[in-house]
Amino acid sequence: MQSFNKKTGRYIGRYKNYDVYSNEIVRISEENKEDINKKLPGEITFNYGPSAGGLEESVNFNIITPGERINSVRVDSSFKRRNIKILNDSVDSALLKVERINGYHSASNSICFLLAVENALNIENGESNNKRIIEIELERIRSNLHVIKCLAESAGFSIPEKQLSYLIEDVSRIISTVFKHRYFFGANYINDVNGNFNNLNESILKIKNEFMVIYQDLLTSKIFMDRLQENGTVRDMNSTGPAARASGYNYDARLDSSSLYYESYKIFTGSSGDVFSRFMVRSDEVFSSIELIENTEIKENESKNKYDLNKSGTGYARIESPQGDLFYHVDIKDGRINDILMVSPSYLNIKLFEKAMPGNIFTDFFFVWESFGIWISEKEVNFI
Amino acid sequence: MNIIYYLPLILIFVSVIISIKYRNWGYILSAVSSIIFIAFTYRTFDYITYFYLIAGIVWTITSIYSLSYGKNYGKWLAPLFILTIAGMMTILYANNFLVFIAGWEIMSIPAYLTVAINKKNDIEAYVFMFFSEISTVLIMVSAVLSYYYTGTFGFNKINNDYVLLIFTLGAMSKMGLTPFMISEWLPIAHGSAPANSSAIFSATMTLMGVYGITKLALLSPVSEVIGILFIAIGIISVMFGSLYAYISENMKSLGGFSTIENNGTLLSALGLYIAINDGIFRAFVLISILIFAMSHSIAKTGLFLTIGNTGTEYFSGISDNKGLLARMGKFFILSSLSGLFPGIGGLGTWMILESFFMGAFIQGAIGISSIIGGSLLAMGEGFATAAMFKVYYFTDNHSKKNNKNNLETYTIFSTGVMLVFLFSISFLLIGKEYISGIPNVLIFNGFMIESRFGPADFGLLSPIYVVLITLFFTLLAYLVFGKPKTRTVKRWNTGIENNETYNSFTYSSNIRLMLKKILKTNSGKSDLETVDIFWYFMIRIASSYRKLTKYISYKIMNSSISTYMIYMIIAFISIIVIVSLY
Amino acid sequence: MSQWFLKGIKKGIKTEKNFDDKFKPDYPSRLEGKSGYNCPVNAIKNGEWDENKCIYCGKCDLKPTKDEKIYKINDKLPKMFKKSLYIYPLDSGTCGACNAEFNSIFYPQYDANRFNIFLSNTPRHADALLLMGVYTEKMHDVMIDALDAMPDPKIIIGFGSCALSGGILGSSINEKFNVEIAGCPPDPYTIISAILKYKGGVK
Repeated sequence: MQSFNKKTGRYIGRYKNYDVYSNEIVRISEENKEDINKKLPGEITFNYGPSAGGLEESVNFNIITPGERINSVRVDSSFKRRNIKILNDSVDSALLKVERINGYHSASNSICFLLAVENALNIENGESNNKRIIEIELERIRSNLHVIKCLAESAGFSIPEKQLSYLIEDVSRIISTVFKHRYFFGANYINDVNGNFNNLNESILKIKNEFMVIYQDLLTSKIFMDRLQENGTVRDMNSTGPAARASGYNYDARLDSSSLYYESYKIFTGSSGDVFSRFMVRSDEVFSSIELIENTEIKENESKNKYDLNKSGTGYARIESPQGDLFYHVDIKDGRINDILMVSPSYLNIKLFEKAMPGNIFTDFFFVWESFGIWISEKEVNFI
Repeated sequence: MNIIYYLPLILIFVSVIISIKYRNWGYILSAVSSIIFIAFTYRTFDYITYFYLIAGIVWTITSIYSLSYGKNYGKWLAPLFILTIAGMMTILYANNFLVFIAGWEIMSIPAYLTVAINKKNDIEAYVFMFFSEISTVLIMVSAVLSYYYTGTFGFNKINNDYVLLIFTLGAMSKMGLTPFMISEWLPIAHGSAPANSSAIFSATMTLMGVYGITKLALLSPVSEVIGILFIAIGIISVMFGSLYAYISENMKSLGGFSTIENNGTLLSALGLYIAINDGIFRAFVLISILIFAMSHSIAKTGLFLTIGNTGTEYFSGISDNKGLLARMGKFFILSSLSGLFPGIGGLGTWMILESFFMGAFIQGAIGISSIIGGSLLAMGEGFATAAMFKVYYFTDNHSKKNNKNNLETYTIFSTGVMLVFLFSISFLLIGKEYISGIPNVLIFNGFMIESRFGPADFGLLSPIYVVLITLFFTLLAYLVFGKPKTRTVKRWNTGIENNETYNSFTYSSNIRLMLKKILKTNSGKSDLETVDIFWYFMIRIASSYRKLTKYISYKIMNSSISTYMIYMIIAFISIIVIVSLY
Repeated sequence: MSQWFLKGIKKGIKTEKNFDDKFKPDYPSRLEGKSGYNCPVNAIKNGEWDENKCIYCGKCDLKPTKDEKIYKINDKLPKMFKKSLYIYPLDSGTCGACNAEFNSIFYPQYDANRFNIFLSNTPRHADALLLMGVYTEKMHDVMIDALDAMPDPKIIIGFGSCALSGGILGSSINEKFNVEIAGCPPDPYTIISAILKYKGGVK
């Protein structure tokens, strides 16, 4: 993994002036300027955000429309761009900050960061592999449930919305029981996960059963299916995560990345690439994640080594976060972060959302937006 | 020949000459002669004289308005404007076809010139000329036919309807109704003139067509076929006129389309008049036509004056704000044009719709056509309301400061008030047989208009009560609550500055998108401009006409404007020759 | 829709009358004890623990007590909000966890609506502005606008260590808060008890 000028593997995303592919990092001469939205006669710019009810995070949408139809959407996520001072920090201190890049996907971020550090410093990490998988899959369950809940909310289905909210809170409580924090803050260490995994399987089984009922109820609702099908259709080679799988691409870092070792994993793909297939893929993944947790054995770490982190090296890691490929590249010099590069799935998902929107109408807006599970916080990070 | 009776006609021709040198005196004299004209010719309950009243009011208003508005235009406007009025007055004085045709030409030729001089591009003038000449030719044919059947050029009873049909086709061409789809010449031509001229073109020039048709319809036998044909043509014009008005961005064009819509309504009502045989019902339809024509003409004048007052042609050019008086005048004018109370337009629309729904009680084809016609008319009125609201809202920039009133705003205000006034006194204009009252509920006899068909009452309306009750509750609300208390706060636009405004184009985009097929909206990836294929067709006709005239003009003289002059002189000479021969 | 209604009824009431203490998280909660730990956010100074600065990372020797009452109330609630409090959340630069935790107080387990705590969709109709996240340049202007848009009297609630002290990631966006709810992120137990304490409701 070096900065050469060839592009191999699939496209993961961009951080500053680096394009990341699954096998390469390519330095680009200058960041491509975003094409400015050109307005035709009769079109108006409808502004939504950065701060409005219905938006979980601060993000601005520039919607160009002649009336009901949306002709184009530009997402301006720069409002909450955070400058995170991380260079020259020790790994421990940097980890505290990485945990808070995206709180909702904190496990994925911190594990991916730690994997990159371990890769850089040549630390054997096989012992904690399974614990980390459980952590990430728990996070995936909650994240996918959250997306499905938002879809139900967009459809105005308050009862499934509340039922799903109930499940999400249950998952949060499970996480808090196991990891002492509802968002995995402070749970991850170099080659270790701090958690009490007893009784996890029982409680996760309850989630599975409850979600099965809600899922089947949703599938019998014609109105719900009607709102989702053929809505926000997009098919793009440069896509990631559930959105890619929903349009038939079998992209999954659980299969094609060596950072974490999954013994067996069956991939789910859709074909139509609309909101409905994203919903299906996510629902299927909730079940498969539960299955993964049930089938993953947990062994306590035997080696309780204190690792010497005052070394130098370069390393990377790529894992499948709930919304797609998450990539970290670190350069460590004498135990301090010399350089860090992070690509979050929200980068590609925002691009996909912009592509999926033209031609849709206003009432479809939220379905499409929510179906990608985009988090602005992980996209707008500026490491300094 | 009573010379006093013809005094207004003489005065108006005199004022044409005066206006060449003294613009304002010309306008004043034309206003004076219009008022004398009303006084000399109008008779209550003699329905045909209602046209004189309508035309007289419009001329008076526009002449007064021109005192201020005409300043912005060259010397040529005043004589041409007054000459057009003189032509129309000649038509109204005419008691035979020849004088009528003479008046028609005197009215039309200055109109071409007005359009031609106002616009750099002379295609609009040629378009106008082309359609006007078609109408002249058709009217001449009908005159010859009438001579053939009756032996004179006078307006006499005729036993068949060919004369009416051909005359109507001619008048319709002038009214912008035919051929159906290429009705757009009128808005384009009318939109190309100064607002005062646009007003008389739209309000009274087309009224002359209605006048002629009405006059002949009174002389012709009942004909169901022609009646239904007129209803159909009228309805199509209403639908298209109101739709195009709604999406029009040029304000004067919008007025032109609205004229087509109103003329369509009038023509379909005339069709109903021609088709039915019941004497009392016919009289009701006739008075409906007159009330509607009155509201259309006066309110349309007001509309053009309002547009002229903005000082620009397109909605996008609106940059200022007029005072309360102008806004109130505008409100009454536009509500009248929308067919709403308390303008006389509300009464006109109500009467026309009542006529159609009463017509539904007649068995057979005419019953079916009236019910379909009535519902489509009502729909067209709905569109018209939307179009008028567009004018109301977007001719103002909604800033706080009020501009000072001037002669123009006073004229607009008085036009609006006149519409309300005419509405309140409308029970005096309508024949006794439709006036009644319900003293039990304090509506005294003589204050209520009643549409009646056969033994059954159909609808009831008491305009004066509507006005009084509205006024009463408005005042009451004002006295109780006082001036509304308002607080101005900065707009919360989800956190960022708002630099987008809702404009007139977006206002009508919904129809552009919904009726894509009919309006040929070019939507999708490209823009939303409405492209009308018929307009291309029409331009082709106009350009071939221009080629022909160019060819002729090169033969005679090398300047285009001089060609008009020559044409005008020749036309005058031939008219004088024809009239003197008769 | 009737099938959904019946399904909803069938599930029964899921809202917890007294919140299930079993699920109170260790972090964040009140920390106890003494520590000489070199805190990266200076939450421990001379042995004193500052709840607003703490990011509850669990790296020091202070012991979590599961006591959710880690909030400060700096003034009295205007009387008019006693019956209902409309909150407009404003995210100036969060990691997303604060947003999720704030939303979760409306989840069935907690159902903050029953305590007459509501979400407002615009600051125009809001009684309280709930600020979360670190200072970011662009959102600072938005916050000023939102405060302008709110009718008087207005309450400002600081939410989470980022908003209160800047946490580990940056600096705080505002200096004065009527209510300070600590935590990284504050958990639903803390949020509800803080608002109820301020409102003078039950629990």
